[in-house]
This record gives sequence, structure tokens and C-alpha cells, in this order.
Amino acid sequence: MIAVSGLTKSIQTPTHRVDILRGIDFHVPKGQFVAIRGPSGSGKSTLLGLLAGLDTPTSGKILLDGEDISGLDEDRLAVVRGRKVGFVFQSYQLIPTLTAEENVLLPAELAGETAGAGERARALLDGVGLLDRRDHYPVQLSGGEQQRVALARAFMLRPPILMADEPTGNLDSANGRHVLELLLALNAQEKTTLVLVTHSAELAAHAGRRITLQDGVIAGEE
Amino acid sequence: MRNNIRWRTAAKIAWRESRATPAKFLFVALAVAVGVGSLTGVRGFSRAFRQMLLKEARTLMAGDLSLRVFELPTRDQQEVLDSLEQRGVRRTWITETVSMMGSDHVSDPLLVSVKAVEPSLYPFYGSVKLEPAGPLPERLTPDRVAVSEDLLVRLQVSVGDRVKLGGAEFRIAAVVTAEPDRMAGSLNVGPRILLSRAALERTELLRPGSRFAQRYLFKLPPGGIPVGAVREELKNALPHGLLTDFRETHPLITRGLNRATMFLSLVSLIALIVGALGVATAIHSHLEQKMDAIAVMKSIGARSAQIIRIYLTQSLLLAALGGLGGLALGVLVQLAFPLLIARFFPLPAEVRWDWVSGLEGLAAATLTTLLFTLPPLLSIRRIRPALLLRREMVEVRPRQWRDLRAAGAAGLAILLVIGAMATWLAAGMLSTRRIDAVKVGAWFAGGLLVSLLALSAIAWLLLWALRAALRQPYWRPPPTLRHGIANLYRPGNHAQAALVALGVGVMFTLTIYLVQHSLLAQISASAPPGMPNVFLINISERERAGMVELLRSTPGVEGKPDVAASVAARLVTIDGEPFDRRPADGPVRRFRSPRSITWAAQQPPQTEIVAGAWWTRSDPASPQVSVSEEASKLLRVHPGSLLEWSASGRGVKARVAAIHKTEAIRPGSNVEFILSPGALDGLPVLYVGGVRVRAKDVTALQREAYRRFPSVTVINVADVLDRVQEVVDQIAMVVRFISAFAILAGVIILASSVAGTRFRRIREVIILKALGATRRRLVAIFSVEFLILGIVAGLMGSALATGFSNLLLQRLLDAPGRFQPAPNLIAILLTALIANVAGWLASFRILGQKPIEALREERG
Repeated sequence: MIAVSGLTKSIQTPTHRVDILRGIDFHVPKGQFVAIRGPSGSGKSTLLGLLAGLDTPTSGKILLDGEDISGLDEDRLAVVRGRKVGFVFQSYQLIPTLTAEENVLLPAELAGETAGAGERARALLDGVGLLDRRDHYPVQLSGGEQQRVALARAFMLRPPILMADEPTGNLDSANGRHVLELLLALNAQEKTTLVLVTHSAELAAHAGRRITLQDGVIAGEE
Repeated sequence: MRNNIRWRTAAKIAWRESRATPAKFLFVALAVAVGVGSLTGVRGFSRAFRQMLLKEARTLMAGDLSLRVFELPTRDQQEVLDSLEQRGVRRTWITETVSMMGSDHVSDPLLVSVKAVEPSLYPFYGSVKLEPAGPLPERLTPDRVAVSEDLLVRLQVSVGDRVKLGGAEFRIAAVVTAEPDRMAGSLNVGPRILLSRAALERTELLRPGSRFAQRYLFKLPPGGIPVGAVREELKNALPHGLLTDFRETHPLITRGLNRATMFLSLVSLIALIVGALGVATAIHSHLEQKMDAIAVMKSIGARSAQIIRIYLTQSLLLAALGGLGGLALGVLVQLAFPLLIARFFPLPAEVRWDWVSGLEGLAAATLTTLLFTLPPLLSIRRIRPALLLRREMVEVRPRQWRDLRAAGAAGLAILLVIGAMATWLAAGMLSTRRIDAVKVGAWFAGGLLVSLLALSAIAWLLLWALRAALRQPYWRPPPTLRHGIANLYRPGNHAQAALVALGVGVMFTLTIYLVQHSLLAQISASAPPGMPNVFLINISERERAGMVELLRSTPGVEGKPDVAASVAARLVTIDGEPFDRRPADGPVRRFRSPRSITWAAQQPPQTEIVAGAWWTRSDPASPQVSVSEEASKLLRVHPGSLLEWSASGRGVKARVAAIHKTEAIRPGSNVEFILSPGALDGLPVLYVGGVRVRAKDVTALQREAYRRFPSVTVINVADVLDRVQEVVDQIAMVVRFISAFAILAGVIILASSVAGTRFRRIREVIILKALGATRRRLVAIFSVEFLILGIVAGLMGSALATGFSNLLLQRLLDAPGRFQPAPNLIAILLTALIANVAGWLASFRILGQKPIEALREERG
């Protein structure tokens, strides 16, 4: 499902050049749940962003579902993201000016797949236990609630791959557990390939495979 | 998959986006509204005002167009006149001549000006006021005439008495107290008599060889053929006729009208630019806050084109909302102006809501909003969703050629559209001057480009210098000052953009003030309050002292009487060629008779030299002459030509040194030839006097002057001049009000461009507060920042305004420009003040909040 080879990412800041990823190779088969771990600054989030097509690599190749996304321009990447990848951010990233339901509905509207979208959005909100809060704006929701809306949004278009960047990192343990349970349940229900970045041992324990990053290279795998 | 989302979906998302934060959205719409409002308000009001002025100008001519002819029209020419009549152009026929009139009470007949009209048609505009009052057709019958007051005095008759003119006797039906086209006549020598054409027939004055002037007055159908077209048609058919239209009735009005129109179109152009500037800053900061939302949309699959479509729809929504708000504002302005100025002069009821300028404003709003949304919209393509993952690390990506090209294209489009709008505004307003509107547009867009480039360069330099100043080791300012200065060049501050926006705003606002100031000075100098309204002609050397004494002692005389000398002389040769051998038809014929010539050492006041130069030293042995522009054209003379006159049997030769023109109304200002001193020594001199008299005291003066100096003719133009003065005053008043309004709008927009930075400040305030900064400390830091912004923008703006206004005054308004230190200084201080106050008003709420509330607000 996901194949990565020779992946590097460097960025140029006003003063110096930072090599974040220095050669990554791995393969994730369909339906697998992979957790990426590593200390702060090891390049986990950058790797995830590259896999999701949110960013472009400096060199190397990424195949998503057989399609090479490493050389695509911004607009083609957007199409890939919309069709193949659902993404959950650590800081939720809901659009503040849209209600919960509108946030969930947005991917379908952008893809032009509006038939039955309303029902699915409401079903997903029901699934994360927020159907009665569907008209609330993000600012009126707690962190855990916002992340549940973000989860519903990520699953809206039934993406074959779901990526999550520290999805429970900003939440307390009770809320974190709730979000994790929902994530696993939705994953099982939608049969997606799941890649997530986490610090949490508890979260990683649920994964079928654990990759550890250190200083921009894979330091270990179990 | 479809290429793009449907407009409906885009509109839906755009609407949801804006609905959630109505306050922010309204703020942006308000900026658009102020821009559109000032544009439509100024435009609509100028239009109405111009109509009103033109109506008054028509009144001074009693028609739309006057055609003076020197022979009766041929059959072909008559056909053209009739064809015009069939298209609704009405005409009437006026004959003026000079003759002698007598009465039973005096032995000598009196030289009078005779004016014959068709009472049922004349005048087309304005009205003839009679005493006793009554309609003209009833008073002017074949055996009844109306006369001027001075005629009663001189012939010792009163209303109802009999007088004799030519071969017929008439009864005086009334006294003419006001005659709209009094200044338009050509033979204004003595007391006046107004009669019908039928009455003129009875006098048998119009015989071949007698001296008379004929003119047609035309009235155009409302909304029909434009005056220019009729004028062209008449010019082709009657090439020797002298055409004047209502736009050139009186030099003071023509010039005042031209200047006012030019100024008003200038102000509306500036209102457009300043309004667009407000729109641009507002939209820019609006989109800037949407960066995160855009990145999120991209991360869930939105392509740039889709996002652009969404925000384009939103901008259109803003433009429409702002545009409609602006229209409402424009209506208010148009309604409010007349109320404001009603205290000073009466405005006709026509000043009403003007649809054309309303629609123009709406179109302009949509266009400018779209235009200024273009660059930020295009930059959407550069936003990467990775921003959401790695916010703290700003990645510097070399700007791609494609981006630069897009930004350049957008900038070029903006300039082109502004140039086109300027052209269109100029073409609409400057029809009287036939200035190349495209040139005006190009100048305007070019000027704007140069100012923007200059402002950006200075802003960049300043920021660089500030940064360098803080980095050097010798000067350590206190932390508050250091922080405030550092704030200016901190990444994401956009100080350069704010400086440019503020600078342009200051430049335009101050330009309006400076131009207005010089223009008003100019207007009041050309129509000074003491302008003479009574003229005394044919004063002999012997009578001069006595006349001056009389004027000094008469009640109601205001100011010092002005006396000019003249010598009657006939032009005999031009460059050695006898003048009577030249074919002299039409207006040239008047130079065959003796005309007044005069002399002067210095260039007379309010006189402009259009060619050659005034003499610095004069040598009586080789006299020089300055010729009026009109005479020089008719006689085809230029500096260097040699003219010769015959005066009282003596020959006077003079070489043309200069060609002059004047608008001043003073005795002698209509003299076409001014010779150098000494040239006319020894010749019999006649004097012309001019004096300002209170309208109600004119008759008494006339009586007294006649009693003591019977050969002196008194010409009373008090009523007409009062009207001219009134129009000029109105122009000045409106110029003042419009500028006050434009300056106010400029201030509001300046304030809003500073207030627009509010949203950028939230994050900074949160962090500083979280780190323990007190509100006082924050106020101090931001004050330093606003103060520097304001002072620098004020300095740059006023420097540019001085240059710009001088250019405008000299190029477009024919008025001298000069440096005015006080307004510049005040502008700089005011800008600093406005930047601070607006900045504070906008940031006040954030400062009082707890960091956590502000954080929540930022997220929401």
C-alpha cells in the first residue's frame, strides 16, 4: 500500500540547512497498523507529512497505492490527499469558521461527491458521539470533542489510508483513550491502512508494527 | 473527478466561512463601503453641481449657443438652421445696433444701444426683469419699448412718456432692471433700449450700410443633440460666424468651471484610489487570517483552483455588500452636501440621487475589490499544508519565477485598470477642455506606480536601517523602545506594506488639501471681492480729477476707483502692408474702425504672457506693443510683427513684443493693444473708470455723473457681476466642502489600514502577556511601533504630495504650485496621531483579555 525508498528531506532556514530525514526505506502492506515512534526532533511528523502528500521530499520515492507521489505538483497532491489519505493532526485543525458538521462535510464538497454526503457526515458524527453538537463551532467544543470531529472528517471519503500525527498528544488520558478507541473502531469498520506517529507507549502497543526513528533514520523496528 | 467544484458549492462554503465571524466580515465590507461611498458621493455631487453651474452659465447667455453673423444667411445656410429646428433646436434672432434717441424734454438726442428681440422666445434661460413687472410679450408691443434706468435720467422722461427712435415714436412701457445676457452683447455704448422685432421694423434703422450686429440664440432639446455636435454643424455651415456656447459665457465662469470640474474629477479619482487602497488592505489582512484554514482545506484534498474559487466568491460577496453599503453612503453624502451648503447659497432642487454615478460606483467597487484580491488569491497557490505540521520553522523557499510572473501580471493588471478608470473619469468630466483623457490616465497610473515604488524602496531602506541600528553594539535603547523598533522588522509584521498603504493614503489626502488651497487662492484672485461693477467711459483729461473726486464722495462706492487711460487709434498697416487691403470679414472688420489702445510700463496684474516677453526697459524711440491673444489670432500677428496706427492724424509704429491674455475685469482690461510708455505721449487721452458700487446706490451715481459730466457714459453691470461673483463663490464653496469630505474619507481609510493589523497582533500579545508583560508595557511597545510607522509614512506621503500637487497644479489646473511647510508638518503629526489612535482603538480589546481568552479567540 505504501512503499518508501531513499527518502530524504532537508529544509533551508534563513541561517542554515537542516537535514530532517536522511534516507528512509520501508513498505507497509494494505490494512496494516503502523506506529512511528522516536524522540522529539527525530523527523516523525515530517515523515508522516511526506507520506500523506502534505509536503514534498528533497529526494527519494513514495508510492501510495501504486502511485508515485514524490514528483507531483501541489494540485495533483491535493487530489491524491482527497482520494487516498485521511489525516488527523495533533492540534485538530478544524476550520474555525465552519460548524462541526460542515467541517466533516467539507472533503465531500471539495471532491464534488455531495450525494448522500449529509447522511454520511451525520452518521460519522453519531459514531464519534457528537451528533447533537453538530451545529457547534470548534471554539465551542473541548479539545477531545474537536479531535473526534477531526476523526469523523478524516474518514468522510472512506480513504484507503489514514494517517494521524500524535492524535492524542494534546488530550488528557481519558479523552485520549476515547479518541484512540474511536480511531481503532473506525479503522476496523472502514478497513483502512493506518499509520500514526506517537509518543504514547499505550497507543503504540495497539499497532501491528512499530518503527522507531532517530536523527532522521530508522533506528529500529518491531 | 470534475475539474473544479461548482460555483454553488463554492458560494455555500464561502457563505458559511463568512457567517461565522460577522464582525470581521463587516469590517472588511465597511472598508469597501467607505471607498465606494466617497467615490459615488463625490461623483454624484460634482455631477449635480456641474449641472447647476452650467444652468447658470446658460442663463448668462440666455441660451445654449450663440451665433453672431455678419451677413444674412444664404439659402443653404438657412436650410441647415431649419434642419436643426426640425431636430428640436429652437432659435431666436437678436439684432443690436446703436442709434440716437430723443424726447420732448431735452434738446439733444442721445446715443443709445438698441436691442431687438422676439419677446415670445427670448430669453431661453433666465428672465428679463421689468419695473413695473410683467411678461415681456405684453410689455414689448410694436409701439412700446423698455429702457434702462439711465435713459430715463438722461432724456428726463419716466415710464409712460414718449420717446423717438429712428423714424418712429414709442411709449416707454417699463424699466429693465435685469437682463440675463447683458454681458453677451457687442454694442454696449450708451443707455439701453429693449424692443420687439416688430418695433424695430417701424424705426427703419436697418438700412444697408448701417452698423448693426445680429446673432442667433439656440436652445437645445434636453437629452437631444449634444452642444458640441450642433456647434460643429453650425461652424461648417457658417464659417464666418462667431460661435459661443454656454460653457464659455464669461471668462471667470469658464475658468472657474474648468478648474472646479478638473478638481472634482481629480478628487473622485483620488477617492477611488484611496477607497481601493482601503479595500486592498482589508482584503489582504482578511485572507491572511485564512492561511490556516486554507492549509487545512488543502490537507483534506482541496486544490488551489477550488480554494481560489471559494475565496473569490467570498470577495465578490464582500464587494457586493460593501458596494451596496457604499451606495447608501453615497446617497447620504449627496443628500447631506446640499443641506450643509444650503446655509451659504441656495441650491436648486435638482441635486438628487444620481443613478449613473451609483452604478459606476458599484462597478468600480467590484472591479477594484477583485483586482486587489488577485495577488493574495494567487498566493494561495504557495500555501503548503506542511505549514500545519511545522509552523515554527519558517521555510524560505526561493520565490519561483512563476510566482513572480503572476505577481507582476497582477500588478500590471491593477495599474492598467486604474489607468483605464482614470481615463474614463477624465473623459467623462473634461469634455470642456478636450484634454487627452488617455494621457491623464497614463499619468495617473504612472504617478501611482512611481509613488508606490518610491514608498516601497524607502520603507525597505528604513527597516533595514532600523535593524542595522539595533544590531550595532554602541547604542542600547531601553527595552520598550528596542522591542517596538524590532517589532517593525519582525517576520510577519508587514511593516513595509503598512508603510506603503499609509504613505499612499497620506499622499493623496494631503494632495487634495494642497491643490484645493492653491486653487482657492487662484479663484479668489481672479474674482476679487472689490471687482468693479460700474464702468465709466469717455472721461476726458479735463474731467478726470472731478470724476475721481465724485466717485470718492459718493455713498455706496466700495474700494478705490480704478482708472485706465486710452487713445483712440485706427490700425493702418501690419508689417508695412496696408490693413484696408486685407480681406477683413467677420470679426476682423472691427479693427477697421478706431479702437482704444493704451500704454503701460509694467505687466498689468492678472495678465499672462502667452508668447514673447514684456519689456523690461522701454525706449520711446522704438515703441513696443503687447497684443491680446484674440486680436493676435484675428490679425495673424506674432512677436516681431510691426504694427502702425493712426491717432489724431499722427502715425504710431510699434513692434510686437508680447502676446497677452487676461481674465481680469477692470477698466482697460479689454484693450487689445498695450504700448510701451512714451509711445502715445502728446495724443488726446480718454479715461475709463471702474468702481465697485453697492447695487442700490448705482442709480444715484448715474444721476450725479450725468448731471456733472454729461458726456461720460455710465455702464452698470452690477446685476450681472453679482451673478458671476455668486457662481465663483459657489465654486469655491463646493471645492472646500468636497475636499473636506475627501480628506475625512482618507482619514477613515488610513485608520482602517492601521486597524487591519489588529489580527496579526493577537498572537504576539498572547505570548508577551504569557511572559509577564503588563498592559502598560504592551501599550508602550506598540506606541513606539505605531509612532515610527506614522511619522515615516507621514514624511514620505507629504514629500510625495508636495511633488504631486505641484505637478497637478501646473499641468492640469494652470495654477502655480509652491511648497507649503505648515500643512506638511500638520499632515505628518496627524498621521502619527491617527496611526496611534487607530492602532489603539483596534487593539484595545485584545489587551484587556486574559491570554487564554485571546488564544480561544484566535482559534475561533
